[in-house]
Amino acid sequence: MALYKFDKSNELFQRATAVIPSGISGNKNPAFAVPGSFPYYAVRGEGCRYWDPDGNEYIDYLAGYGPIVLGYNDPVVDAAADVQRKLGTAFNHPTPRAVELAEKLVGMIPLIDWCAFGKNGTDVTAYAVQTAREHTQRRKILKAHGAYHGSQSWCRHGLGGIIDTDFEHVHDFIWNDATSVEDYFKKYPGDVAGVIITPYHHPAFANQVMPKPGFLQDLRRICDKYEAALILDDVRAGFRLDIKGSHEYFDFKPDMTCYCKAMANGYAISAACGTNKYKPAASKVFFTGTYYTSAVEQAASLACLDELQKPETLTHMMAMGTMLQTGLKKAAEDRGLQVTISGPPTLPFMTFTNETNFRRSQLFGGEAAKRGVLLHPHHNWFIMRSHTPADIQKTLDVADDCFKLVKKEFGG
Amino acid sequence: MFTPMLTRLGLYTPPSVRDRVRAGMHLHAVLGAIPHLVRLDEEAAATARQMGKVALEFRVFDGPRSVLAFDGGKATLSREGHGNVGLFFPSCDALNRMFDGEKVTPIPFRAFPLHLKALQLLPKLTDRLTTFLKPPAGMLDDRDFLAKHVELSLLVGMMATRDLVDYDPKVVRIAHDLPSGTVVFEVVGGPQAHVKIDHGVIEAGAGALPDPSTTVTIKTLDLALGLIQGTVDTFAANGSGDIRASGSLALVDEYFNLFDRVGLYLK
Repeated sequence: MALYKFDKSNELFQRATAVIPSGISGNKNPAFAVPGSFPYYAVRGEGCRYWDPDGNEYIDYLAGYGPIVLGYNDPVVDAAADVQRKLGTAFNHPTPRAVELAEKLVGMIPLIDWCAFGKNGTDVTAYAVQTAREHTQRRKILKAHGAYHGSQSWCRHGLGGIIDTDFEHVHDFIWNDATSVEDYFKKYPGDVAGVIITPYHHPAFANQVMPKPGFLQDLRRICDKYEAALILDDVRAGFRLDIKGSHEYFDFKPDMTCYCKAMANGYAISAACGTNKYKPAASKVFFTGTYYTSAVEQAASLACLDELQKPETLTHMMAMGTMLQTGLKKAAEDRGLQVTISGPPTLPFMTFTNETNFRRSQLFGGEAAKRGVLLHPHHNWFIMRSHTPADIQKTLDVADDCFKLVKKEFGG
Repeated sequence: MFTPMLTRLGLYTPPSVRDRVRAGMHLHAVLGAIPHLVRLDEEAAATARQMGKVALEFRVFDGPRSVLAFDGGKATLSREGHGNVGLFFPSCDALNRMFDGEKVTPIPFRAFPLHLKALQLLPKLTDRLTTFLKPPAGMLDDRDFLAKHVELSLLVGMMATRDLVDYDPKVVRIAHDLPSGTVVFEVVGGPQAHVKIDHGVIEAGAGALPDPSTTVTIKTLDLALGLIQGTVDTFAANGSGDIRASGSLALVDEYFNLFDRVGLYLK
């Protein structure tokens, strides 16, 4: 088969570097994938496929880094959005869609009594953190080491315009180690406002780690003991494990939950939700943005959630994810390679067991992209409803070719 | 050991963070380039041979120290130990001003006549180093000189990152988040250098290492020069293929952030 070339992607990127810092900002910068072997831009999508400026077609497992849960251009969601678009979107006020969507989420997700809408995951994790601080009148927030809760400076220990005070009151505990959480409550008595967690640990550049039995429940117990908020950042995994939210899948009870990626099949919307206990504090936090009340996305979300609520949707996605996971494992073993498959079936990821520097993953991912399958080497993947057994099989066929190349290059 | 008490009594002002970091970089990274200069430049090597066997200790009050040792025309630098000739600087500021080109006379100690010749020859070496690190106009047109300039500048920058991790409060705070591993930088048709990061402790050196965590391949010497001068957007260069990073990208991403930060202290 003729391997893909990326000349037009490269041309666009060269133009971009003149007028956009880094050409492409953040995690979508080519530096985080396999530069030269990955597309840099997309032109159109359909179902589980998209096309780049060079006309290359991909079976996609990155799904726009998560928001495409049904498939690109889902006709039901797009039709609902179109209806609202014709009525108007960014008004002076919210539209009835805001109330309808809030009612839908409150009815759909056990535990929650209210929700507020933003545009991105970062908006709502920051809002939940502020709400926890307002409710408790405390400063400290605890997060798992390596966990990503958004691009705001409060949750990014690093350089690049971040100053010490941005994260002065944010502390990292060790995932799956409840003692390391409680130690902070003891170290800062009366000053820990809340704990923010993802339902399972899904850092970039690493295998995904499921919660140990009892870990999430221990966090609940600790937060109760010290009267702090337990915030579930379900931005990435929300509605991909259980339509009622990932806390139902893992059987624990957060005080607030944050959703985004799977809410509207690519339309920009996020939601912070919570229990009545936190509603007065949520009201006191000034939470707004020019587009937070935009109605098109809310209409799209209503339609998307309807589709996700169909029992067969998640069942199918789980089945496709399982087929991919087991198929990759077998194909790798058949070629004499060891891989680690991690994460739930709808958010799978694969690394090569005998390396920590991702060189095999980069060769594998780059070669797969050149053959029309997009499997990111450093970030977990996403299954969409539109993936079919034939797509998965084609993916496994390409993966087998790529495993062969990895074996040839690295020997094992 | 008395400085905290003197500070409390208002009798002493400790060095500012900026002065402390710069002093560390001057003694560890800039002086640390001399062994590499001696390796790369015959004129410097000849001077080093004339210096014989001697260990020069640089000590700064309430600041860093280093020992620059010569033996048989080769040089090494360490952050610990003692020399048989010493140069004492009363403050980080005094040391920094000297490195900035001001006339500052350090106080010699343990200076036996036997080693005075080495002290007299030292400025010859530092002047030669200055020529390579701050080249006069036109010198960079010479590709061989450019290669040496790039290698020495790269090594100074890489060695200086350790002082950031040790003393820059902003970096100290995040040092525990730095991934451990090794990064090899290779300039096509030019030098190679490496850095080891082990739980926040950084060591830099010349040449490659086997099986590095990350390899950063820089397409040309001119591009490497831009990287050192801070005029290259590393993300853009990576996407366009001018810089290729393979292996642990999290490691090199963090390290580039540190490397860029050296420019806040050293020009």
